[in-house]
Amino acid sequence: MDNQFIFQYSWDILPKKWVHKMKRSEHGNRFYTNTDNLFPLLCFLKWHTYTRVQVLIDICGVDYPSRKRRFEVVYNLLSTRYNARIRVQTSADEVTRISSVVSLFPSAGWWEREVWDMFGLSFINHPDLRRILTDYGFEGHPLRKDFPLSGYVEVRYDDPEKRVVSEPIEMTQEFRYFDFASPWEQRSDG
Amino acid sequence: MTVPVTRKDLMIVNMGPHHPSMHGVLRLILTLDGEDVIDCEPILGYLHRGMEKNSGKPNNSTISTYVTRWDYLATMFTEAITVNAPEKLENVQVPQRASYIRVIMLELSRIASHLLWLGPFMADIGAQTPFFYIFRERELIYNLFEAATGMRMMHNYFRIGGVAADLPYGWIEKCFDFCDYFLTGVVEYQKLITRNPIFLERVEGVGIIGGEEAVNWGLSGPMLRASGIQWDLRKVDNYECYNEFDWEIQWQKEGDSLARYLVRIGEMKESIKMIQQALEGIPGGPYENLEVRRFDRAKNSEWNDFAYRFISKKPSPNFELSKQELYARVEAPKGELGIYLIGDNSVFPWRWKIRPPGFINLQILPELVKRMKLADIMTILGSIDIIMGEVDR
Repeated sequence: MDNQFIFQYSWDILPKKWVHKMKRSEHGNRFYTNTDNLFPLLCFLKWHTYTRVQVLIDICGVDYPSRKRRFEVVYNLLSTRYNARIRVQTSADEVTRISSVVSLFPSAGWWEREVWDMFGLSFINHPDLRRILTDYGFEGHPLRKDFPLSGYVEVRYDDPEKRVVSEPIEMTQEFRYFDFASPWEQRSDG
Repeated sequence: MTVPVTRKDLMIVNMGPHHPSMHGVLRLILTLDGEDVIDCEPILGYLHRGMEKNSGKPNNSTISTYVTRWDYLATMFTEAITVNAPEKLENVQVPQRASYIRVIMLELSRIASHLLWLGPFMADIGAQTPFFYIFRERELIYNLFEAATGMRMMHNYFRIGGVAADLPYGWIEKCFDFCDYFLTGVVEYQKLITRNPIFLERVEGVGIIGGEEAVNWGLSGPMLRASGIQWDLRKVDNYECYNEFDWEIQWQKEGDSLARYLVRIGEMKESIKMIQQALEGIPGGPYENLEVRRFDRAKNSEWNDFAYRFISKKPSPNFELSKQELYARVEAPKGELGIYLIGDNSVFPWRWKIRPPGFINLQILPELVKRMKLADIMTILGSIDIIMGEVDR
């Protein structure tokens, strides 16, 4: 049983309502699903004898602001028994709530907290959804494409108040964004 | 899971981000009942630097100075994964010699990382001496790295298509000397530590993780192998040229901190074996695929000829990622380090997600410390082997 077999088997067996698109490539096979059927799909993949993907490697959020459902959540999975990797992808917009997979994969706890912190996607049934990587009292979701690279606040130590304060950012030089592909070589299409 | 308590008022203690035995800036909020730990809550984010956002702006050739700052003790692995991901995406051929050099550097980095795990681990338990001994060997590795790459720690050595510069004359002999010396050093550690009754009292039976539990929690690296699961990405994935060497996966069955210690010591010895085999078998040839630096690539270009290996001014690096997705991984000394890369038909990737092993391995800490004594937290935290640089990114 190898990578291709598991993928093909799951695609044949699963109801089309659960997996509405699949894509194979040499760089990894993936299933596209929607947020209602995400939990049963992962449950099937984890417990079924011929797939047994027991390890959740990674939950990744991606932001495509040009799409209507702008966020995409990617679950990278691994089966140690069959040495196979599968990717499951869903799309969501800012207000969709995705069901948490913590009861299936305990390692999803912190991954989902990070997706919440960085993108603003919330998860139902998560035991502890709060910020994990950003500062206490941070506002905004940093990895969205409309959040600037420099952020909105800067911190400094304020001597009269004897603590660190946050203030709106003040840049002495304008942010320089180099728009061309490479400063050395010019491409034929400019 | 509720833990039985013996008194009504539990003490909440903060093991703050600044603490001599925290491995980086990690804050633990402990709920204690006398000396027993009822609950432990790790709080991260003190070293969050926004690495993933940063990679949207600089392109691939300029990101390489950032990546060594994730896991700053095993820096070659972060560079290797940064370079492997675009190489796999675009199917770039790496010359054989470059592959061997990469394997030698990676295994030296693995030894360096395990050494700097061993020192603070023993220091947390209370033994101060190994902390000085490991720096002896680590200085020798630093010297080797400095001779080959120019920097002791943050090398910026790996390039897409190979390595930045070839090994200097006499480096291979020096590396052989180091391997012979290091084997005597490992014997010294084993004599000093492994059968030491005080060490065994502190470490045996502490923080046991079963095999099923380890797989469920997504652990990887020595934590998984110490629980009886023989899973090593170097054997399973066959990347670089690891399948040309003769070596075994180090694993133990018990799953306690002693097993994790034994796995890491064994891995150091296996790494020396691999380095010796690589040094003996290293082929000649180019050390970098210079053709990939140009946008319009041609097959059989003159840039990969013999004469161009000795030029001092190479074409400046340009690399364009096509619109594909990829998850690339290496077996870092802490676990499975991965990058999920989404290209965008330009030099800037659309999404660059780092999958750090320490982030996942640290999640199991609250489960392991329940009903342990306060002093066992240090042992367990040390045996998990985390680096906050990669946990927080």
